[in-house]
Amino acid sequence: MGEAIERFFAALPARAPAVLRGPTSGLLQIDLTCGNRTEHWYVELAPGTVRVSQEQARPADAVFTVSSELFEELVTGREAGMAAVLRNEATFSGNVVLFLLFRRFFPDPPGTRDPRETARRHVGRSG
Amino acid sequence: MMKERVSILDGNTFLVSDRRGNIEPSFDFPTGLFSFDTRFISTWVLTLNGEKLHALSIDDSQSYRTRFFLVPGEPTHYLDAKVSLIRSRSIGGSFDEELTLLNHAEQEVEFSLRLDIGSDFADLFEIKHKRRKKGRTTPTVGQDELRLTYRREGFHREAVITTTAPAAIDESGMTFRIRIGPHGEWTTRLHTATFIYGARGEDIRATLPLGGHRSVAAIHAEQDELIARAPKLGCDCQPLAGAYRRSLNDLAALRYESIALGVRLLAAGLPWFMTLFGRDSIFTSLQVLPFLPELVPPTILMLAALQGSRLDDFRDEEPGKILHELRYGETAGFGEQPHSPYYGSADSTALFVILLDEYERWTGDGKLVRLLEHETRAALAWIDTYGDLLGTGYVWYLTRNPETGLQNQCWKDSWDSISYSDGRMPEFPRATCELQGYAYDAKLRGARLARTFWNDPAYADRLEREAAALKERFNRDFWIPEREYYALALDPDGQQVDALSSNIGHLLWSGIVDESRAAAVAQHLLGPRLFSGWGVRTLADDQARYNPIGYHVGTVWPFDNSIIAWGLWKYGFREEAGQICSAMLNASRFFQGRLPEAFAGYERNLTDYPVQYPTACSPQAWSAGTPLLLLRVMLGLEPQGEHLIIDPSVPDGMGRVELLDIPGRWGRVDALGRSRGPHDHERDD
Repeated sequence: MGEAIERFFAALPARAPAVLRGPTSGLLQIDLTCGNRTEHWYVELAPGTVRVSQEQARPADAVFTVSSELFEELVTGREAGMAAVLRNEATFSGNVVLFLLFRRFFPDPPGTRDPRETARRHVGRSG
Repeated sequence: MMKERVSILDGNTFLVSDRRGNIEPSFDFPTGLFSFDTRFISTWVLTLNGEKLHALSIDDSQSYRTRFFLVPGEPTHYLDAKVSLIRSRSIGGSFDEELTLLNHAEQEVEFSLRLDIGSDFADLFEIKHKRRKKGRTTPTVGQDELRLTYRREGFHREAVITTTAPAAIDESGMTFRIRIGPHGEWTTRLHTATFIYGARGEDIRATLPLGGHRSVAAIHAEQDELIARAPKLGCDCQPLAGAYRRSLNDLAALRYESIALGVRLLAAGLPWFMTLFGRDSIFTSLQVLPFLPELVPPTILMLAALQGSRLDDFRDEEPGKILHELRYGETAGFGEQPHSPYYGSADSTALFVILLDEYERWTGDGKLVRLLEHETRAALAWIDTYGDLLGTGYVWYLTRNPETGLQNQCWKDSWDSISYSDGRMPEFPRATCELQGYAYDAKLRGARLARTFWNDPAYADRLEREAAALKERFNRDFWIPEREYYALALDPDGQQVDALSSNIGHLLWSGIVDESRAAAVAQHLLGPRLFSGWGVRTLADDQARYNPIGYHVGTVWPFDNSIIAWGLWKYGFREEAGQICSAMLNASRFFQGRLPEAFAGYERNLTDYPVQYPTACSPQAWSAGTPLLLLRVMLGLEPQGEHLIIDPSVPDGMGRVELLDIPGRWGRVDALGRSRGPHDHERDD
């Protein structure tokens, strides 16, 4: 398992208050496949909080299945979640809203600039 | 050209063929069988004894079913045909076609009927720009079926065609050798199933909450039920009655279950836009709210769930932004196009707030407003942060994806839509005027929501102060005093992009126009430069880039006109609003009640009928929504508190307009209007 993935899950509880502002809650199961092994992560999403576990307490409301290789790209911002689903490299089932909510934890692609900076540079003004 | 093609649709699955029912590979217009942005059938050509057939007549009165009556040969010598063929097809989950061959001779005859079948599995985006497919298509011949499989890595689509009558099947079609007795007939049923494979090799649609597929009977029942729920219209004006009925039918037909989202959404328009668009779905929702409010929440919820959360240059995504377009096809999946989703529109975010407020005003559904507080605040925050690219207090746009992104991120999103009067085009970023109007309206509506539902009067006060300041600033910077209209846009130097355009009508709708200037704006909209007689042109006919058949530079858009009529009404210009309503409804007669995406901007007295824009989408959701909004405008329907205000102003000559059972927070109420023109008196007597 890549270090980036471990770090990503470890940081979720601290990031939750800023990301999970709405009233949606539910249990999202993330299945990371690597060869013929599957690693399970359980993310309990609730307003302002996240609990991450590798033990299943109850049946999940949604399941997101992806290779650990691709997941690492997602959690480092190099790939986009919905595109991966559209090309069937990642799949989900269950309550789609949980997956869409979880997606908000994925960071910007590396090297992305604030578009305002880009625009102001474009017209030759400084921020 | 459009009349040369015949379409049937169910949700975002549709089939476009020629008038004989044939499909031949085309790369200019999307002919074939499509579902979720993939073409599953690109060749479907019938020949009898090696000869193509010719259509005697076509019955295409229903959106999901067509019947062709065919005879062999060219039109010139069909009259002594000894054989004819009925081709009856429908769409609903799958594509079904029944072929019936009739022998009119007095003796037994032997026929060879051939159906050529093929698929290129093109993504809709590959049809305009032909490219070599990166994946592989494999045909497999079975006992009574032909299976066409496309694979590219995990992306897997399949079309399986089966026949009930025996056939000699090969990799490119089926041949039927048939003997039919005197005056006898022969029939086969062809069934084409499309598969979109997801996890564990299952069809994605099979695992959706609503099941994905609808049978023809289910479509029929659902359409009937939807129409039964809509208010009943009684009126003297035949075009209005026809357009209303047609619109409800088309809106019902354009509903589909999203494979990515599992909810029923409205596709934007056949054939190019059979998917979720932020702007289109919001405007359509605004139009249909008084009639079918239950269509609106899934759209609001999905737009909220897909709200931008990060900075992504390829997708023009920013936190808080509402999406432009979500596609389901191969090019979106593999990152050859940015629609996964793409966020390149500068108006959908403000429009989202406007829709949520309007929805609550009609339905009283405060629960949804509370549920979406965070998303709505994030949308309002976007307007003043990422939306204001230059920090000047306006909403601007500039794509960060010059290869596949959109240059113009307003509703007029073609490359040449924004110009100065003299035809020059401004630099980027651009701040078009209607974006500022929407931002103004969104702030005021956001303030109402904050005060009424979020218990945050301080935020409401702030939004109202900001709205007032924006209105003042806008009226100073966009108004061109010597011409008495608002500039189309500001260029990056803050200079006015001075073309006269229909966008000024949207400003009335938003309420950002100073009262003292509204009459001048209304005069321009109904004046000879903008008003063609059939409607308001997108661009005035004396502007350098004006072209009566230019997509956003001279054509008339029914949706645009419906918003303009709403705006005129808001400022009390009932007669002018009525003029637009009459013009649109008159135009609709020439399209059998189905207003297309756009028609040409020619003077009415030049052509005597509205000329359809060459590649216009039809049906198009926000064109189908147009007659509904026009009805609201003519009857003056406006929710106020728990009541519906009814203040009709029916244009001359239209007679009685009666709308029964208008749903809303008041339960259901009826509205009645009657025109008061000089020649309406006779009708009254």
